[in-house]
Amino acid sequence: MTMKSERILSNRRQAILQTLSMGAFALPGISAFANTSSSSGRMVLVFLRGAYDGLSMLVPHGDDRYFQIRPNIGIPKPDGSQKTALALDATFGLHPACAALLPLWQQGVLAAIPCAGSPDASRSHFDAQYHWETGKPGSSSPSAGWLNVLSGMVGNGVGLHALGVGESSPRILSGPRPVQLVGNGLSATRAGTLSDSKTREAVLQLYAGNEKMASAMLEGATNRMSTAAMLKTPSMASSNEQQAANNGAGSPQGLALDAKHLGTLMQQNRQLRLGFLSSGGWDTHINQGNVTGLLANNLSNLANTLIQLRAAFNEPNDVVIVASEFGRTCAENGTRGTDHGHGNVMWLLGNRVHGGKWHGRWDGLDQNQLNEGRDLPVHHDFRGVFAQALAASLGLTKASLADVFPGFRWDDSLDGIFKA
Amino acid sequence: MTQTPRFMRNRPLWLVLESFLLLFLWGCAQSPQSLRTTSLPVSHIEPQGPAAEWRAMNRLSYGPTPTLMADIKSHAHPKDWALKQLDAARKASQEAPKLPLDLTSINDSLPRIFEGARHEREARAAVPAGTRLNELVANERRFNFQEHTEALFYNRTQVNKAVAWRLASCSSDNVEQPLLARMTEFWFNHFNVYQQKGSVRPFTGHYAINVARAHALGKFEDLVLASAKHPAMLYYLDQWLSVSPQAGRAGQNSRGLNENYARELMELHTLGVRGGYTQEDVRELARVLTGWTVAPRSQDGFQFVMRLHDSGNKTIMGQSIPSSAQFMGVKEGEQAIRFLANHPATAQRVSLRLAEYFVADLPPEALVDQMAKTFLATGGDIYQVMKVMLSSAAFWDPENKLYRTPYDFACASLRVLNVAQDRNKWLQAFGYSFVAGQAIQNWQTPDGYAFNANTWFTPEALTRRIDFALTIARNAPERIDLYPYLSDTTIKAVMKQPPLQRMGFVLGSSELVFK
Repeated sequence: MTMKSERILSNRRQAILQTLSMGAFALPGISAFANTSSSSGRMVLVFLRGAYDGLSMLVPHGDDRYFQIRPNIGIPKPDGSQKTALALDATFGLHPACAALLPLWQQGVLAAIPCAGSPDASRSHFDAQYHWETGKPGSSSPSAGWLNVLSGMVGNGVGLHALGVGESSPRILSGPRPVQLVGNGLSATRAGTLSDSKTREAVLQLYAGNEKMASAMLEGATNRMSTAAMLKTPSMASSNEQQAANNGAGSPQGLALDAKHLGTLMQQNRQLRLGFLSSGGWDTHINQGNVTGLLANNLSNLANTLIQLRAAFNEPNDVVIVASEFGRTCAENGTRGTDHGHGNVMWLLGNRVHGGKWHGRWDGLDQNQLNEGRDLPVHHDFRGVFAQALAASLGLTKASLADVFPGFRWDDSLDGIFKA
Repeated sequence: MTQTPRFMRNRPLWLVLESFLLLFLWGCAQSPQSLRTTSLPVSHIEPQGPAAEWRAMNRLSYGPTPTLMADIKSHAHPKDWALKQLDAARKASQEAPKLPLDLTSINDSLPRIFEGARHEREARAAVPAGTRLNELVANERRFNFQEHTEALFYNRTQVNKAVAWRLASCSSDNVEQPLLARMTEFWFNHFNVYQQKGSVRPFTGHYAINVARAHALGKFEDLVLASAKHPAMLYYLDQWLSVSPQAGRAGQNSRGLNENYARELMELHTLGVRGGYTQEDVRELARVLTGWTVAPRSQDGFQFVMRLHDSGNKTIMGQSIPSSAQFMGVKEGEQAIRFLANHPATAQRVSLRLAEYFVADLPPEALVDQMAKTFLATGGDIYQVMKVMLSSAAFWDPENKLYRTPYDFACASLRVLNVAQDRNKWLQAFGYSFVAGQAIQNWQTPDGYAFNANTWFTPEALTRRIDFALTIARNAPERIDLYPYLSDTTIKAVMKQPPLQRMGFVLGSSELVFK
């Protein structure tokens, strides 16, 4: 490192460099945060892009209208077998592809909120996702993602506190705060050419005078070296790009592998307190199937992912949340699928969760109870759900919650979804 | 020490003069608002010098090949060259593409492509249950398709050939007119289809060539219509299955309405999400389009089936569409699409997206307004809209920076290294695009890939870009003809490397990472 190029770096970047030169890149959080992080938990959000069909995962089998309006795609009433919904209570059951989650429900660590969502009426995936990720329903103005904003309130505000695995730059994590982004699938395990200090130095000279490029390069190199060091296993190292092309994102195993990486990284670096995962392929307009089929496969994959996450996030205040930008029509459409709806089921998983039950308002599927006569209504603003989780898990005050979700109102009808 | 390229250190003279011109206009108008509403000052002072040349080559093609550099230097002004590129691209779009011989099957007639897909279905049905097919066989030959394709692997081979065509056409001036390659990317992405959705697979190459490329600089309404009727789109957004609920009940399958295509047609292809339509309009448009479906034996792959059509009254955005008598038939949907394609909200949205792709992540409003005005005045003539953009000062303003997307960077690398013929390099370019999150023609949702710096310029992504640059350029011969375009800092760092490693650093420089 030349004196010249060093001068141009900001303090934060110098800190990265110092970590690098000490050769301690794999251990940034362990020493510094182990004692402070034990008292508060971590939050992981699994976001299902494309609007997953919550009424197939949390089956309202107690409502006869469910079977009338979903003659082909409905999940049959529980009969105790794996070919029907698995009864949770008289109102709801679980999709049989999610059987792995039943023990978590029974242990009282998994809960559902059947009618949650965005107060904004948009049925556009892209608009709605933007609202969810900025935490500002109805606003399309440029804005940082709320996990990015939140990462600045965690710990002492220094260092990386948020981790995203899979997407190159999800909106929810983008903004002024540095976050750690890790590639999807096996690409996360490679440290790359910049793990060589001579190459790093040469590239730094290439970007001399351009602080933005130089610091981005250093930050990325540091993150990747630390990630690769933590994830490295012999079997992963032997793969190549072509296999990645076939077996990477979009494959049924993709989300579970990303979840495994996320768990490992957050386990090893306790400075990381916020995790983000996402998966696509939920926009089931045609032939979504019922007990088996396209959606059942996705749900089974989701269940496996949640089992992975449960294993990695089982400390007292950890919480995992599953959500989607909106729900789908209650009735099946003309092509044995479902179209864009409004409210949807959110899931909460963790030891503090008042689990084994569903929470909030549920008025059934009568047409006059539905949004525009066709979709689940939004009885609970998603920000209200997240706020409960952030207060319980990370200990955020209502005042700082207002900085994450400007203008939201605390939803006291959800008080009690987390144990005191 | 400075990062600014030596030719940009001071703003070019033409731009300085132009700024005065702008200030002068502003002063005359006496109202800031007029800057938005009066017509955008067209540059009469020509952008000059290496900066303008570099900008034109990197934005109107994927990067400077030696041929392209010789060509632009033979013109008095880069802008003359730019406008000639536009003419050449329009001309090329009206001619058949120069497909490498082993890729021609992507542009087979549609009945033949349907047949290939049917043969694969039959071949797979004949495979005894439990047999494991070695799917990787086809994969290993990914970018070499000389050998006969087994029926079993027809679809995946078509997908790979379509990707190969995108690499061939972005990297070689002999295969494709450079600006047309860019326009094809832009329109494919605007009317995105996903190559891994089952029935879409064999059609993506045909779609890129006959929809995105063929109408790239024509009338926007023709582009929307071509996309609406192409099997790739009919399959991708499920339109082929959407029928009138009455017709559905009468048939064996209880099929009915599917809103998927109608919604994205309004939200993404034309008006935009704030274009003033409602959920009711989406449903009405879906009803108008009932009966639009695929036709495996017809030359255009499309048919309108009256018996599947909802013939009741409909109203879209206040436009009432009378109960379809038999003679209306397909014209009902065509009229609706033309109405949407020529709507002012569409003009604004399409102009904005073009300006975002070619000018800046946040292009000047005045430029977008001027483009939209031209769009409306010319009946959506994309060529004319592009001409306004290329003639604007904003296009040439060095302050308007763009960050290359992964695909853009992959193509630029092939061009800068002058290795358009080397299919091993294609494979590397393909692998990089994939790992960086922009696998070619592989975006699952209909919004297409983003192309702004917010999405692509992240620390991790930059390191993957550098990995790729250093790897693909290893042992590449130097291109000293590029050096006059690079900054002092870049040259200094590049020259410290041994000659056979220099091109990797040239590729990784900010001059090529941005454009």
